[in-house]
Amino acid sequence: MGATVRFLLGEAEREIALADPTRTVLDYLRTDERRTGTKEGCAEGDCGACTVLLGEARDGAMRYRAVNACIAFAATLDGKQLLSVEDLAAADGTPHPVQRAMVAQHASQCGFCTPGFVMALAAFRLAGAAPTRAAIDDALAGNLCRCTGYRPIIDAARAACADPAPDPLRANESATLARLQALAPRTSLAIVRDGRRFLAPRSIAELAALCEEFPEATRLAGGTDVGLAVTKALQDPACVIALGAVCGLDAIEESAHTITIGATATYSDAAPVIARHYPDFGELIRRIGSVQVRNAATLGGNIVNASPIGDTMPALLALDARLILRRGSAVRELPLAGFYRGYRETVLAPGEFLERVVLPKPAPGQIFRAYKLSKRFDQDISAVCAAFALTLEAGRVSGFGAGFGGLAATPARAPAIEAAVLGRRWDEATLAAAGEAFDASFTPLSDMRASGAYRRLAGRNLLRKLYLETAPSGSGRARTRILEPAP
Amino acid sequence: MAEIALSTAPAHLRHGSNSGQPLTRRDGLLKVTGAARFAADHHPPGLLHAVIAASTIARGRVVSLDLAAAMAHPGVVAVMTPAHKPPLAADPDAKTNPFMFRLDLLQNDRVRYAGQPIAVVIAETLEAATEGAALLAPRYQREPARVGFEDATVFTPPAVGVGSPAEVVVGDVAAELAAARLRIEATYETPAQYHNPIEPHAIVAAWDGEKLSVDTPSQGLAMARARIAGLFGIPAENIEIRSPFLGGGFGCKGMLSGPQVLGIMAARLVGWPVKLVLRREQMFGPVGHRAPSRQTLRLGAEAGGRLRALDHHTLTASSTFDDFFEPASNASHTLYASPALRSAHEAVRLDTGTPLFMRAPGEATGSIALESAIDEMAAACAMDPLAFRLENYAEVEPISGKPFSSKALRECYARGAERFGWTARPLAPGAMRDEAGLLVGWGVGTATFPALMFQGQARAVIRADGTGLIECGAQDMGQGAWTALAQIGADGLGLDLEQVEFRAGSSDLPDAGIAGGSAHTATAGMAIHAAGADAIGRLAALATGDERSALFGAGNAGVIARAGRLYRRDDETRSERYADILARAGLFEIDGRGSGAADPVALARYAMHAHGAVFAEVKIDPEFGQIRVSRLVGAFAAGRLVNPRLVRSQYYGGMIWGVSFALHERAVVDPRSGRVMNANLAEYRVPVNADVPSLEAILVEEEDPHVNALGIKGVGEIAITGSAGAIANAIWHATGRRLRRFPVTLEQVAGVAG
Repeated sequence: MGATVRFLLGEAEREIALADPTRTVLDYLRTDERRTGTKEGCAEGDCGACTVLLGEARDGAMRYRAVNACIAFAATLDGKQLLSVEDLAAADGTPHPVQRAMVAQHASQCGFCTPGFVMALAAFRLAGAAPTRAAIDDALAGNLCRCTGYRPIIDAARAACADPAPDPLRANESATLARLQALAPRTSLAIVRDGRRFLAPRSIAELAALCEEFPEATRLAGGTDVGLAVTKALQDPACVIALGAVCGLDAIEESAHTITIGATATYSDAAPVIARHYPDFGELIRRIGSVQVRNAATLGGNIVNASPIGDTMPALLALDARLILRRGSAVRELPLAGFYRGYRETVLAPGEFLERVVLPKPAPGQIFRAYKLSKRFDQDISAVCAAFALTLEAGRVSGFGAGFGGLAATPARAPAIEAAVLGRRWDEATLAAAGEAFDASFTPLSDMRASGAYRRLAGRNLLRKLYLETAPSGSGRARTRILEPAP
Repeated sequence: MAEIALSTAPAHLRHGSNSGQPLTRRDGLLKVTGAARFAADHHPPGLLHAVIAASTIARGRVVSLDLAAAMAHPGVVAVMTPAHKPPLAADPDAKTNPFMFRLDLLQNDRVRYAGQPIAVVIAETLEAATEGAALLAPRYQREPARVGFEDATVFTPPAVGVGSPAEVVVGDVAAELAAARLRIEATYETPAQYHNPIEPHAIVAAWDGEKLSVDTPSQGLAMARARIAGLFGIPAENIEIRSPFLGGGFGCKGMLSGPQVLGIMAARLVGWPVKLVLRREQMFGPVGHRAPSRQTLRLGAEAGGRLRALDHHTLTASSTFDDFFEPASNASHTLYASPALRSAHEAVRLDTGTPLFMRAPGEATGSIALESAIDEMAAACAMDPLAFRLENYAEVEPISGKPFSSKALRECYARGAERFGWTARPLAPGAMRDEAGLLVGWGVGTATFPALMFQGQARAVIRADGTGLIECGAQDMGQGAWTALAQIGADGLGLDLEQVEFRAGSSDLPDAGIAGGSAHTATAGMAIHAAGADAIGRLAALATGDERSALFGAGNAGVIARAGRLYRRDDETRSERYADILARAGLFEIDGRGSGAADPVALARYAMHAHGAVFAEVKIDPEFGQIRVSRLVGAFAAGRLVNPRLVRSQYYGGMIWGVSFALHERAVVDPRSGRVMNANLAEYRVPVNADVPSLEAILVEEEDPHVNALGIKGVGEIAITGSAGAIANAIWHATGRRLRRFPVTLEQVAGVAG
């Protein structure tokens, strides 16, 4: 087993022994490497000033993704390439097209958030998506600027994408690929320091064994929550089992009737597949955290975290997603609806872990809708989140799944609502019955994000919205996109 | 001081002037490459790390700290506490001028707000210091926290803002209100807001005997240096503070804060350089905030819309131990003509850190209430809100009766309204829906901010090779001092920008005045302008008094400085290069000094303000209370613009602060503990990209012959004012619902209990 972390920093090979197994990438860059271009603004993955790029070999090419260095652990760099703002310029010092555009468009004021924006935009430009306002907003949702009012940054994004210059990050691609190949980890990583462990198994069997050996271990997937526990709650987990290097655990597979998503598949990887079948689910994922968060965070992590306001659970519940759990060689499958026992509690047994999530593909005629209500459009925690899977046959409801978040101690299905509509005509009377069932099902609390009264109103109105968008006599889905960004 | 390698300006059209050119910022490349070094980026040899342990109670005493546990943690070097700290030469609770604020420097075991520093742990690594601070596990003797207006006694403060009277009255408000045909009275609430620049406060302090070297962000280098000198009892000359870049300030880096001083004390205590960086949650306590307010406005008007009385009362809050009172009612001093006008302030004292100046202090808070109330009165008069504002247009400053030094507000209204398409606005609320069925509303707000100046100095040098140097301890928190002040400097020396070296951002340079109050470009700019004129004057004296010079005898006719040459004003065929004049005189360089300050004669004669008009469109989903600002058009007049590009950027940023004020920013205080519950950037919401509407800032030309020789007013704060009110008014126009508690919430817009 390896005890050191090997990766590329820019084009330079690094092999580091981590005295602190949960040292963050940001601390490593700023303190050990004295690369101070990457800034710390919040240490909680909200402001994006610490955005760096992680490069991995994918399908014979380098794939770069923006992540928040402040909540990423340096130990997870094993076998990857790390790029900070200091790596963007071409070898001759010519600034990167994004850097040129940011200067020309006057897109920095105080400049503290700027390196993070530059990195997020560099990833956006590399990905090659059309620079629409919506796409730019999405790419920059995880970067806060307090000075510019953003408009010049949006202009810079457009200008950088319009610049035909080749991307300097692609200049050394084949050499980088070869270097990464050479240092790819062949064995599992096991850092043990002062009684603290950071274990990164490479196979599911190995993972299963470690989970049984260390049932109390903190399991690390994308780290967007565990990272916070370390940087904000100052926890020093005695044992971390990192799932990111486990081969095959991030697999996404489709069969005729199902989509199976491995526990460590990131939102960024899972979203396109899910969106192909459930566009609204894709849209919901687009509003989780930010690009930097979705590039790290996993669907599996969202499920196991068991937060009552986790954004994917309403959709997964409405769709009757099933979970495949493993303990040693024993595998069991259960519906997500049976997974939560209470506030932040699940039925996972000691040593048991989530291996895969199975989503059914849409049944013929099935309509799926997901709604997220939050004060701020992007990067905000839901006040209410709801999803509905509705099947109509000859004007009658032949299938109905409803999942809600933010209304109870756990994400919840609403069997009473389902019972109230199943088999009935999809009309005002049925909607009224659904509304009554909703009121009987939930007694939402008031908190900082919304009052109980608002949640009750909004929940009922979401049922109405669904009705208006889907009923034969309804008005279509006119209002669904109400908060589309300005052009 | 550190060399700052600024980009050379790209070739640009010059018509004999650098000012007025829309140059992109010269520090841009440094910032996009990560090469711009901020305070926390410094790492001198032997550096130790300090972490503040902050109080988790809002009021009471620290009974015990587990010093043994902290000291036993590997890497911990020292724990600084009230009982173990370097001596100070001055009482941190002493207050000898209105800009001096009481600091929490571990002077005793008293806790007066949540987040107050109660100890500092110094260690070899940041991790060890952080862990050491956690191990202190303080125990408290807790007293009930006073967190809301109802929890404390209301009193009238002796002064508000900086030395403003708490109450100002013109005319007979009661009589005019009684005589008015229409009267409204409405109360508006605004929350505590925290500055939250993206760069948290940071300091790297290193002592060398009695000399102190400091890297820390500061909007006021000279004041910070004087404060440190007083606290530590050392001469100011012994202290160098470097602050070439601030990662945003917005007021919270205006005065040196307690945590910054604690970093210096920590370095003193251990005898090594120390770095102290605030964690984000620590930005919600000891570094100031915008105080909450409850504002009641009473307006009386004639049926035709002419105001007879405007009464603006503010209840605000300060800390229990210091005095800063948000001068919100003063926002009503300058905008609307009214025969009777009263601004009044009362306050309570709460268990919070001391509130301070936050971008447009007073004006932003007061403006959202005033502009809402004006809108309510326009509606009561069944008048278009813009027509109502024009009906009450102030031709002289209402509070003083003085004429304005310049006021292009009518043009702002006209240009903004035209661009926005305001004439198509239906008078009645709730009358517009978009194609998707959303409610649409349009609102307007008037923007205003005083054209202030502080006092500043600068030095200008012409060197033997004909190039120039400007030295000015200016501070750039993003507004563009590195660029705009260099432009003014180049003009003052009659040189191209590329020919002038510009030094700023260090306390070793001449005091340029504070970067605040939207006054820095005017203050430092005038100092630089005067220093340039002084240097040119000395150079001219050399030439015109020397018979070997082509300019000999130009004396009374005078000379013009342009492109590195002096020309006879009455005969431009006679000229001489700067370098030649210096060479003949055998001089290595010649320097000039200048200062900038407001002209007391002009101040006595004129009211000086920048103005603007902001038009907002909102879209609202009534079923869910979701709201989006879809368009913002602002038109602003602020005298002469040194760099239109930098100015526009200030307006954009300010307008988005207006969006934030109306819709997003709010510190939520736990009534039991007195702690800010959303002390992070996930839940203390500031706008993200997607919250930014189609945004337009129109620069309205304005010549002001009185405000200063350069004709400059400030632009950094004005755009918050007007914007927030315009959004509030647009919400009413969309929904017919007048929301008076800010920021507006989902509940309020949806019309359910909050």
